[in-house]
Amino acid sequence: MAHVATPPAPTAPPHRRRAWRDILVGWSFILPNFVGFALFTLLPMLAAFALAFLDWDSYSTPEWVGLENFQQLWADENFHVALRNTLYYAAGHIPLTLVAALGLAIALNRKLRGVAFFRTAAFFPYITSLVAVAIVWNTLFNPTAGPVNQVLEALGVASPPKWVASTDWAMPSVIITSVWRDMGYYMVLYLAGLQTIPKEYYEAARVDGASAWQRFWNITLPCLRPTTFFVIVMLTIQSFKVLDLIVVMTDGGPGRSTLVLAQLVYREGITEGKFGYSSAVALVLFVIVLTVTVVQFRINERRSAR
Amino acid sequence: MTASNTPARVRHPLVKTLSAAAALSLALTACGGSSEPASGGDGNVTLSVTVWNMAKTPEFKALFDAFEAANPGIKIKPVDILADDYAEKVTTMLAGGDKTDVITMKNVTDYSRYSSRGQLQELTDLAKSGDAANLAGLDAFNVGEKYFALPYRQDFWLLYYNKTYFDKAGVKAPETLTWDEYAKLAQQLTKDEGGKKVYGTYHHTWRSVVQAISAAQTGGDQLSGEYSFFTDQYNVALGVQKSGSTLDFGTAMAQKSDYKTLFETGATAMLPMGTWYISALLDAKKNGKTDVEWALAPMPQRPGGSGVTTFGSPTAFAVNKKAEHADAAKKFVQFAAGKAGAEAISKVGVVPALQSPEITSAYFALDGMPTDEVSKKAFEPDKVNLEMPVSENTSDIDTILREEHELIMVGDKPVADGIKSMNERVKSEVLN
Repeated sequence: MAHVATPPAPTAPPHRRRAWRDILVGWSFILPNFVGFALFTLLPMLAAFALAFLDWDSYSTPEWVGLENFQQLWADENFHVALRNTLYYAAGHIPLTLVAALGLAIALNRKLRGVAFFRTAAFFPYITSLVAVAIVWNTLFNPTAGPVNQVLEALGVASPPKWVASTDWAMPSVIITSVWRDMGYYMVLYLAGLQTIPKEYYEAARVDGASAWQRFWNITLPCLRPTTFFVIVMLTIQSFKVLDLIVVMTDGGPGRSTLVLAQLVYREGITEGKFGYSSAVALVLFVIVLTVTVVQFRINERRSAR
Repeated sequence: MTASNTPARVRHPLVKTLSAAAALSLALTACGGSSEPASGGDGNVTLSVTVWNMAKTPEFKALFDAFEAANPGIKIKPVDILADDYAEKVTTMLAGGDKTDVITMKNVTDYSRYSSRGQLQELTDLAKSGDAANLAGLDAFNVGEKYFALPYRQDFWLLYYNKTYFDKAGVKAPETLTWDEYAKLAQQLTKDEGGKKVYGTYHHTWRSVVQAISAAQTGGDQLSGEYSFFTDQYNVALGVQKSGSTLDFGTAMAQKSDYKTLFETGATAMLPMGTWYISALLDAKKNGKTDVEWALAPMPQRPGGSGVTTFGSPTAFAVNKKAEHADAAKKFVQFAAGKAGAEAISKVGVVPALQSPEITSAYFALDGMPTDEVSKKAFEPDKVNLEMPVSENTSDIDTILREEHELIMVGDKPVADGIKSMNERVKSEVLN
């Protein structure tokens, strides 16, 4: 109605006006969500980035120090230890969870009596409280009275590892626990992926005489590529920001053998009150995760193009 | 990605703004009420005091009740904070301009931070008057001849032991033990009691169990960056562990052992621990949670030393610089550190900072306290050194010493290597 009455004067303005109106209408749709995001996620994140270049202890006036925090970071042995430990954790957690989740999904993707029960059982750890999981696994891994070592001793292992009480085995213990906890979640993703693969492919392959192994390599895996990509990206991000499990299980110990970057961020910031330095660590962690994720996207794009 | 860390980090400015806003609105609404009486009298003052785990820390209630009874017109409103978050929460409150009147100093490290930032009121006049000179642990609060807090309780370490096991083994009350004798005794007391393992002693996982006692008894300085004075004590601790006379450190850490449970269920015959455990033990006994027969002995000593030297740490009250009721707050601090405060807290089994023969005998008259002479002697050590000296480096050095302590105790590093890395790390990461 409105634009019927508008005089058909110059041609450009109404067009431009309508474009503006469309944009405003569009913005108004995303506004409620965006305001929340901007207020509670974007601004704090930008503030944290800015803090990385400041010296601030939460009560005095922040002081601009440029790259000093990063120079200090480079020389800080704690940072190197935490970075190594984080990479170690990621290198264990990502492939093991992936393989375990895929294995579970394939095993439970068939018509089997009680399959729903087993799927639920596999998913259960994921919805269990993480603190409870950590405490129970700590008890299992108890070096002298724990069931794990009692079983190992019964099997004839003379001196079983001391698990969370040893610097060599603390990280593997954490990795095993985290794989156990996370595999159910990624199994569900893989189950969904498996069900989208057309049965005809398998029938055709069978007619051509392909073995189960060949069918897995040439049909299942390639068809699951989008799922695998998603799983890897999620796992990577999750691994680099690991904190909760480690804090409850080992609190970074023994010594510094399980100290990870996210924990260093917490320790330097909240405990020591060095917010600028802690933000610098957080920024480095962010850049690492961003780089890894971008690389993964690139590789995925190249593969899909083939 | 890092987003999960951001909210925590940004909590502070947010809290700052919010509390500033809250303070502003309070100030606005309180505008008309500025004629409030300063303190005492029959005006009504509500004094706010930060405390931790109020329900499980009986001394707070005992003190508050006694103070309210002695000062009608002043009511105390506790600000209860979770013990584990206490330091961070109070730091945030003070940074945000909070007006809580009395701030409890849970440890001297936090005290040094708050006082150096100018967040506490000077109490030097109180520290120099009356009974204050007799306060154990007062020295810890001396910052350049100025005091910003007065201690009201002073905990120190002694040796708890299970009398039943000692009687069974035919061992007398251990009045003066050297560390070697202690280690032998621990081995002698270790046994299987009807299928239940009883350890001779239990060393908790805190680094102070080895490091603070060693610093106190050798005169070593834990902030110096030179830690060879720890060597003897590590050899003792590792020897006790190797002979199986204590729960293995790694196991204790993995299962987050509770020293209270171990002692109260009779799983250990001895336990070096701080005096704060007495009130909990009296309580457990009274409620029928344990039937263990216990007594106290002085901490074991180095050979050749004279007298009993142990370590400890005071707890104190300070007045917030921005306190709304500064006069009443000072009155409270003085009350808590004085005789009436000491009597009130000793009734619940807490060791007051103000020490006098009357208070000690009243303390031992408590229902359930051991009454033998050795226990009483244990209660009057000749020298109590500060658990950890205070400086701006305390908390960084504490982290390093704790990490290396774990490595030595779980057997990942020989003592000499562990001490070498303590020296190197403290020098290069903190003192450089």
